[in-house]
Amino acid sequence: MKLNFSGKETIDVAPQTLWDAVIDPEILQKVVPGCREMRAVGKAEYIMALDLKVAAVGGSFEGKIALFDMHPPARCQITVSGEGTLGTGTGSASVVIADEGDGKSSISYEADGDVGGLVAGVGQRVLMGVAKHLTRQFFTSLKKQFTNPSTA
Amino acid sequence: MVHDMGSKPMRDKKYRFLSQPRRVVEDRRFVAGKGKYIADYDRADMAHVALMPCHLPAARIDAIDASAALDMLGVIDVVTGAELVAAIDPLMNGLDTPKVRRYPLAVGQVRYAGEWVCAVIAESRAIAEDAIEHIRLETTALPYVLDPEQALRDDSPLVHPDHNSNVLLDKKFVWGPVDDDFAAADHQLNFCVTWGRNSTVPIETFGVVAEWNAWEQMLDIRASVQMPKYADQIAHALGLAGNQVRVHYDIDVGGSYGVKRGIKHAVLIGYLARKLHRPVRLIEDRLENMRAGDAHGPERKFDVSVAFDKDGTVRSMKMRALDNAGAYAGRAPFQLGKPIGAIVGPYRIGSVAYQAISVTTNKAAQEAVRGFGQAPTNYALETAMDRVSAFLDMDRLALRQHNFIKTDEFPYLIPSGSTYDSGDYHTVIDKVMAAAEYPKLVATCNQLRKDGMMAGIGIATCLEPSGGNSSFEPLLNERNQTTTWMESCQINIDALGTVTARIHTTSSGQGHETLVSTVIGEILGIDPDSIRVVRPNSLESLPGNSPVGSRMAIMLGGAAARAAEKLKAKIIAIAAHHLQCDATRIDYQGGAMLSANGRHITWDDIIESAHRQIHQLPDGMDPGLASFDIMQVPTGGDLPKDGKVHMYPCYSFEFHLVLVAFDPIIGKPEIRSYTIGHDCGTVINPAIVSGMTYGGIAHGIGAALLEEFAYDESGQLMTQSFLDYLMPSSHEVPDIQLVKYCTPSPHTVFGQKGSGESGYLGAPAAISSAINHAVAGLDISFDKLPIRMSVISDKIAAATHHRSDSG
Repeated sequence: MKLNFSGKETIDVAPQTLWDAVIDPEILQKVVPGCREMRAVGKAEYIMALDLKVAAVGGSFEGKIALFDMHPPARCQITVSGEGTLGTGTGSASVVIADEGDGKSSISYEADGDVGGLVAGVGQRVLMGVAKHLTRQFFTSLKKQFTNPSTA
Repeated sequence: MVHDMGSKPMRDKKYRFLSQPRRVVEDRRFVAGKGKYIADYDRADMAHVALMPCHLPAARIDAIDASAALDMLGVIDVVTGAELVAAIDPLMNGLDTPKVRRYPLAVGQVRYAGEWVCAVIAESRAIAEDAIEHIRLETTALPYVLDPEQALRDDSPLVHPDHNSNVLLDKKFVWGPVDDDFAAADHQLNFCVTWGRNSTVPIETFGVVAEWNAWEQMLDIRASVQMPKYADQIAHALGLAGNQVRVHYDIDVGGSYGVKRGIKHAVLIGYLARKLHRPVRLIEDRLENMRAGDAHGPERKFDVSVAFDKDGTVRSMKMRALDNAGAYAGRAPFQLGKPIGAIVGPYRIGSVAYQAISVTTNKAAQEAVRGFGQAPTNYALETAMDRVSAFLDMDRLALRQHNFIKTDEFPYLIPSGSTYDSGDYHTVIDKVMAAAEYPKLVATCNQLRKDGMMAGIGIATCLEPSGGNSSFEPLLNERNQTTTWMESCQINIDALGTVTARIHTTSSGQGHETLVSTVIGEILGIDPDSIRVVRPNSLESLPGNSPVGSRMAIMLGGAAARAAEKLKAKIIAIAAHHLQCDATRIDYQGGAMLSANGRHITWDDIIESAHRQIHQLPDGMDPGLASFDIMQVPTGGDLPKDGKVHMYPCYSFEFHLVLVAFDPIIGKPEIRSYTIGHDCGTVINPAIVSGMTYGGIAHGIGAALLEEFAYDESGQLMTQSFLDYLMPSSHEVPDIQLVKYCTPSPHTVFGQKGSGESGYLGAPAAISSAINHAVAGLDISFDKLPIRMSVISDKIAAATHHRSDSG
């Protein structure tokens, strides 16, 4: 089933700091919800392993992330594809980072996804809510990372 | 036909045990929780299986890496489709489509979301499930098609590229002067209705245990199954001799109504048991069952034209039925064939053109469901009757009564070649109208409307072709020459005088032990409760075709009766020999034999003679008291000619009358009144027939309002658990008034007809009729089942909004 969502967050760091953080696998592993593993396998390619719980079902998900059309520190495209016990997922997102002045930057995203298997069949009713919740969790962790990296 | 009970005239009632309100033998163990189901069958060293699905609707399998799973403690093996294809033959396919191959696991290509790509065998099911997480599946997504009309187009992705088409079957039949009748008729109308993909969804999922004994070279199979020629099909796929596969029938099946076919499962598990030299068990979990258990029913689109006169006479019908078979062939396409045996329903429609198309798509494979395609066709036929009534502004029931075959017209030959045996449709209608107090029902409906509710009365009449012949096979596939669909029974009276009958099938709640003991008890004149009915394994069995096609009262009941008659004749011959009189003068009564001159011989003496005293038997008579019967389907046996064939010996009739009401904003239909008139000829056990009918109506309510295996546009099954696949509960199923009537069949031993599909065959049409009656004033209609609450409320909202805009 198709999913699409978008949003915008303001973060109290400069665009370059933000950019560096969101392409750093070590930081991503800390801030991506349920992330068990995140490692770079190429210049802009990562392998990611997640353990997630969606509605009544929980399980693992392993996928590849690729970044392209990169214009540091302003914008890039991201694709994700993978599968696991939760089902399959593919998605793409375009991310734009803008300088908001005062050492702040904003990050806007527009994402389209297509999920299948258990997560689609059983979790369908709550899937959008879960996606929003996970996104919020991601940004909360990311912000913490900047204010207090040791606790994030 | 009334069975001759003996030389004396019938006393106070026709039958002593038959048709009497007797307890169902099987219910004792089921109600006490002592049924013996497949999950109760245990073996100390049993291995367990879990199945890994691929979640894409169509994909090429590039690689399967199971090394990490195989390293896990407790994992025994991981088997893929590539391994199977080298070791076994494809599953049997009734159609002439050799390139549409099916194996238990996907081979090279995945054809629907959820299809099994590998099987993990482990020391426990839990370990097997955990191991699946460690298998790496690499696939490349392929284009897919879900809609059957799109699947017909030249530019559609092909589900089986080797087959070079998505069409499994496309047969056109013209029975009678269709064009002339259309030209001569006063009017014609066209419409399209769609039957959603629903099924029976038993609480017990499918399960199978296989054991291979290398020293005996024997594969033992126990399964929760309802499948004709199961052992043969397993042997065929595994390359074993027929007598190397032993299917044990003494397993209780926790519900089926058609779908427990379990052939791919048994072939897979049989293969594993042989390979691993261990007992292997697979019991589907709900997700495996719903997504990939081969357990979805027909999904069918009908384009119908009817030609009729001003007075309501329906002259002719053209029907195009397009069925979405899903990813593989199986027996699903034949579900377009059974309805040919009752293509005009209970009506005197003089000619019919019928096009049956079955296509593959990237949805789960379809299997047989209760009625084998008859319920969807009945829904289309009954919709036609309602539409014609509306067009002519004629009462819906009056139109039906006008077109009914009359009771003095039986036997009645329909255009497609079947001859209906008997019926009295008008009387059943009258009895139901009286029982339901029709004028009161109309008043209640009107009052509900006054009170602001939407309310409608639904009616549906239909036939249940029964006797389970399989003539649709040669009709739809010329290379298939099947003309018999026999059933068998064996009876033995032991040296202590007790009776044991053997039947050669599993039962999934149809009460076959009750059926057989009642029939034999009736004929031998002994208490059915003293008769034991056992189920040997397939190697100890006579040929049979399992309880499909609403056939067992007719066929198993028939074989049991005929075997009992043979025994009775032998007992009478022994008695006549003892009493030195002619056999015709023996007055047979269970327990004692009386001759005309007042002398008698007891049952015990007969047993003693048969078992120990051959010198007391007539010359040339074999010792013992045993008999068997292998019964051919009455009236069956002919191959099709000119696209016509006689299909079923018996035609049961039902008439549904319902009142449905709903709030126009909420749109949740509530059934306020439900009466069904049911004529299945002579009833053998009333509790079983009533249970079938109530259950069938509940099932039909599901099909009409709730149940659907719904796929989204990405080919994902959205209803793969009971969170989303909704089934009627006691909240949705109302009290049902059952009006029984009996028009005996001339073709069966006691006049019995089938009732295994009753209720389900007409309930969806009746409920659709009621909802459409309720909204008729808004100039809207619902033409797809299930009619969901949300669809009702949205469509009413749109219609009333449109009215207020334009008003």
